[in-house]
Amino acid sequence: MKEISRLALILTLITAGSALLLAMVEKATREPIAQQRRLVTLGALKAVLPPANNSPDQDTVSLVTGKDSKGNDEQTTFYRGRKDGAVSGVAFRVVAPDGYSGSIAVMVGIEPNGQVSGVAILQHAETPGLGALIEGESWKNQFKGKSLDNADWRVKKDGGHFDQITAATISPRAVVGAIRKGLEFYKANKDQIIGG
Amino acid sequence: MNPVSELKRGIWTENAVLKLGLGLCPALATSSSVENGIGMGVAATFVLICSNVVISAMRKIIPSKVRIPAFIVIIASFVTVVDLVMAGFLPDLHKALGIFIPLIVVNCIILGRAEAYASKNAVLSSAVDGIVMGIGFTVALVAIASVREILGNGSFFGINILGSGFIPMLLMILPPGAFLAIAFLLAGMNQVSAEK
Repeated sequence: MKEISRLALILTLITAGSALLLAMVEKATREPIAQQRRLVTLGALKAVLPPANNSPDQDTVSLVTGKDSKGNDEQTTFYRGRKDGAVSGVAFRVVAPDGYSGSIAVMVGIEPNGQVSGVAILQHAETPGLGALIEGESWKNQFKGKSLDNADWRVKKDGGHFDQITAATISPRAVVGAIRKGLEFYKANKDQIIGG
Repeated sequence: MNPVSELKRGIWTENAVLKLGLGLCPALATSSSVENGIGMGVAATFVLICSNVVISAMRKIIPSKVRIPAFIVIIASFVTVVDLVMAGFLPDLHKALGIFIPLIVVNCIILGRAEAYASKNAVLSSAVDGIVMGIGFTVALVAIASVREILGNGSFFGINILGSGFIPMLLMILPPGAFLAIAFLLAGMNQVSAEK
């Protein structure tokens, strides 16, 4: 009994010391980590939104866009870019669940008239050199100016308007599909997104 | 304790990855580019030095019956420190290394050195052991990553060195390339050792 309490005491002391160290490091890095997250979001917003002179990450509205696998509401944050007060574009994150290896997260920027102003790939695990080419500028630029009205949102292989990538059709197909769903949601909820 | 012979021990005669076959999982997974290899090597070296020093300093008060949980708590604390600091100050590297940073906890090189060396030796020589073993791990990672990045991407440390006429062997930056690169490196090292 004496032996086991000695062991427990020493382990407790070691864990307590570790906890103290971690608490201090966490405190010191909390600000920089939050700042980095904000920079990543801001960078993506800047890349996809039309020119804006507000801070789009401060001007947001959250709407329920679907249900997750447990039946809970899924929220999407819509970031509004403003030029001299008027909304110049809206950006939001769409997720393509059907990538070649896992989900692909995409930031889409839309002008108020429903045309895409830019696309940025936030997160993916596609094959380097093949599916990962969805990150290429020329591939992403093909979405600029396209809307639900002036383009068929499928890859060319499926009869649509968008380039696939040689030897990697699945990733582009997933991204195109996800952007289309985003555009449809935007069209149906435009007033709430811009006005709210 | 001769620093030159210690260094030789870490890089060549007792190289953790290439001679002892320890830490193969992170060595294979994070060696797709030289930059990632160095990042992983430096992160693991930092943890190795810190855990060796602390474990060595506490070797007389840690009872042998609970030494493994005590070692793991100490190692995990330093890994979390690296994880947080990297997320705050080196976000790109943190994103590239991803899950392999937390997994340094179960890197058998670190627990191996704690058990085999730091728990039996004085603080200073444990620190030196951590440094040379860490350098050996980093050298092994850079060697594997150099082969993979040059053949698989035509570049070294992100700088294109083989020109645009070179068609990259994509396979080399995909997982199978890691096995191929390490197999040829091991074969070469065994050949050199056998000739001596």
